[in-house]
Amino acid sequence: MRHFLIAVTAGVCLAAGVVHAAHTRVQLFLSAGTVRPGDTIWAGMDLKMDAGWHTYWKNSGVAGLPTKIEWTLPAGVTAGEVLWPLPQVIPPAEVTTYGYENEVMLLVPLVFATNSQPGPVVLKANVSWLECQDQCVPGSTKVEATINVGSDTTRSTDAATIESWRSKVPIAGGSLPFRAAWENPPASDTRPLLLEFSPPANTKLSQITAANFFPDASDNFEIQAATETISNPSAGFVIRKLVKKFSGDWPNAINGVMVIEHDGRRYGYEVSLPVSDQAAAIAGTAVNTAGQTFTIPAAPKPSIIRMLLYAFIGGLILNIMPCVLPVIALKILGFVSEAKSEPGHVRKLGVFYTFGVMTSFAVLGGVVVAVKLAGHQAAWGMQFGNPVFLVALATLVTLVALNLFGVFEVTLASGAMNVASNLSTKSGLSGAFFNGALATALATPCSAPILGSALAFAFTQPVSTLMLIFLTIGLGLASPYLVLSWNPAWLKFVPRPGAWMEKFKIAMGFPMLAAVLWLYNIATATYGKNVLWLGVFLVFMSAAAWTFGNFVQRGRGRKRIAFAVVLILLAGGYGYALEKELNWRHPVIETATSGSLKESAEGIDWQPWSAAAVAQARAAGKTVLVDFTADWCLTCQVNKKTSIEITSVREKIKSLGAVALLADYTHTPDVITAELSRYHRAGVPLVLVYPKNADAPPIVLPEVLTPGIVLNAIAQAAQ
Amino acid sequence: MMKKVLALFTTLALAASTFAVEIGKPAPDFTGTDITGKTVKLSDYRGKIVVIESYNSDCPFCHHHYQTGAMQELQRDLTARQVVWLLVDSVNPKNFSYRTPAQARAELAAEKIDVTAWIDDHTGDIGHLYGMKTTPHMFVIAADGTLVYAGAIDDRPSPGGDPRKAKNYVRAAVAELLAGRPVTVARTKPYGCGVHYAN
Repeated sequence: MRHFLIAVTAGVCLAAGVVHAAHTRVQLFLSAGTVRPGDTIWAGMDLKMDAGWHTYWKNSGVAGLPTKIEWTLPAGVTAGEVLWPLPQVIPPAEVTTYGYENEVMLLVPLVFATNSQPGPVVLKANVSWLECQDQCVPGSTKVEATINVGSDTTRSTDAATIESWRSKVPIAGGSLPFRAAWENPPASDTRPLLLEFSPPANTKLSQITAANFFPDASDNFEIQAATETISNPSAGFVIRKLVKKFSGDWPNAINGVMVIEHDGRRYGYEVSLPVSDQAAAIAGTAVNTAGQTFTIPAAPKPSIIRMLLYAFIGGLILNIMPCVLPVIALKILGFVSEAKSEPGHVRKLGVFYTFGVMTSFAVLGGVVVAVKLAGHQAAWGMQFGNPVFLVALATLVTLVALNLFGVFEVTLASGAMNVASNLSTKSGLSGAFFNGALATALATPCSAPILGSALAFAFTQPVSTLMLIFLTIGLGLASPYLVLSWNPAWLKFVPRPGAWMEKFKIAMGFPMLAAVLWLYNIATATYGKNVLWLGVFLVFMSAAAWTFGNFVQRGRGRKRIAFAVVLILLAGGYGYALEKELNWRHPVIETATSGSLKESAEGIDWQPWSAAAVAQARAAGKTVLVDFTADWCLTCQVNKKTSIEITSVREKIKSLGAVALLADYTHTPDVITAELSRYHRAGVPLVLVYPKNADAPPIVLPEVLTPGIVLNAIAQAAQ
Repeated sequence: MMKKVLALFTTLALAASTFAVEIGKPAPDFTGTDITGKTVKLSDYRGKIVVIESYNSDCPFCHHHYQTGAMQELQRDLTARQVVWLLVDSVNPKNFSYRTPAQARAELAAEKIDVTAWIDDHTGDIGHLYGMKTTPHMFVIAADGTLVYAGAIDDRPSPGGDPRKAKNYVRAAVAELLAGRPVTVARTKPYGCGVHYAN
């Protein structure tokens, strides 16, 4: 027997055009099936909101209205105060509210008097709320549940659910050292407030990724939602909040929930803090120098399931990002040649392709873990900042192109020559595996919408979760082929294999050459003008490949001499071009540290990014645009071409006197990795627009931009 | 056209930076277009008390004040005493609650709204200039152009019950201005739905 009744929700009828149906469903759960007189049980008022809709916390923030529960209880039963699970910060920044999306269970203790009469009692409540999406609708409903008063208190089937929600209620923070102080004497009707805490037990300060304070509601003042984190490695964690006073004196105590994020989770502590007039009471203020830091909106509450879903979808989307396209063409070719073979074999190929992708992702994950363990910052796509990786990949992709052109064959399975097969279209399983590995290697410089948040989450997680998310991305990337290979019947649309395939194969070599060109261009950032020697090496290597294909593989005699020529070409090219001239493993990396990074005469006047440069520009009252980018980041380059380095944005920046800062992540400097992680990103792209008002948080633009997004953000920031 | 919009944007952005909306300071001037196409300029009303209301009748809080007739009553009372009442609708055109000028004129008539002008602020320029957070969010400007009140319409943040029984801060502020006394409650925390700005 379940102790709740599904409520018949009564949407309040408003003017014509207002949505009548409620988007929130309410159920009343009880933690006990029977209750002994004198005991206390928990009532769980469960509100389920439709996607996109939210209801409010006990302090709804700037707008909104808290959910209200009015009980009608029989004699002998009394309801206590509502316990509110930790809410979310709900945007937009200019009208920030605190509330709940999807679902919340409000918890109420019900006390049964010692003289309660045995038998069933009906507990009734009227619940009213305001639900909002693009518009707001008030709703109210009556719910009831029956419980037996008996000789013992027994757990109900819903007790576990109620307990899981109770664990989301902020705990009393009295034991933790929290402090509050005014930063300045009162000057206007807003005044900065500093909040400081030392990390909870078993947590290091460096593990804390963010903190916030959700205030209780007050008519006399408002603690605004924007939060600045003041980095302070030597003392406690300090945040700055702005308090706006409406009436009366400045408060000498504040109540609310201190929210601390670490290990990818948010922890709430219910606090009541006296506010000191002495900013010096906050240890951190003494060290608050140029590290003037900013308001960072909290990351969405991460749930593993959701992040795994994001990882899978993100991996799937990677397939249509420009990085992976050349490999897709190869896959199509593979399917054409294999479509008519026996289904079992096709399936095996699909599995091996997936296996190749997954293995590569496991390796990537392993590298990330290793880098983190070594005390360095890890980031998505970071291997593209490594010259050794770049040269190796350029070499490999050149070889794939030559192979497609038919310059030489690859015979992985045995020494026997097999003219009909080659590295990438090879019917062999190793070919499919290799294809998967290549797809992964090429995919990493591209981030995709949705993938970004999964990656950012993964990078803050323990090893097992990180690996799980990486593997899920791999599964997403491989899934279209896996599904196709499982149902070869779906491949009926592909044309019959024939002579055209040889031509198509050669044609596919050109996208590969384009990929080489792109890698070559990235290498320019590392090697400067010396990158020429990489080209020289690639020519030597190509000549070696041709000699190998023509005289060793297909030759009729003197194979040994031919093989010697191959070795000489390779050794000469490597020794002279790569080692001597290019010094490829230890290049001298030059990065601009000052002066304009303008791309053309009319281009945006980019200045090199640094935290100090941002602080300086903001202190001067300027709007600041920051582009975190890297030469190898294709998504960044596309954003730049379509939405940043364009006439309308240039003019807007010029007319507003805004400052444009470029944070070059090509060589993955740690200081930028750290900055990216503050905005919950595991890599580039990241574009920020800091409003003119230096107290306001920066606007974080999405991964994929349009001119409208950029222009709107700048216009908004300049107000 | 685009240039014109950009120019307007820049002017307003400049205006926003030079004047902050602060009690006791001059209320920032603005120019808008009302739903009949007329140009409305705040400074043209210098010499009169001006009430500004951020409005969205789909918002349950606003709607309740109109459904009960309390808001129209206040509008009639004040405009009869030569007070200018400017209704500012900053809902963006993509939002469900946006009203085209024609729809707004129909709503004005149907709800018997009694205001000096209903300004179509779908760009949100005036709303941002005044830092309007909620609907309703009220402002009272004295005859000399000084902002004397900003905040809630009354002390009863609820979309139900009888608004006439609440303490109405706008009515009180205007009464004090008319009596030549200083305004006692100058700031309150606005309540209501968030303004549905563009972006």
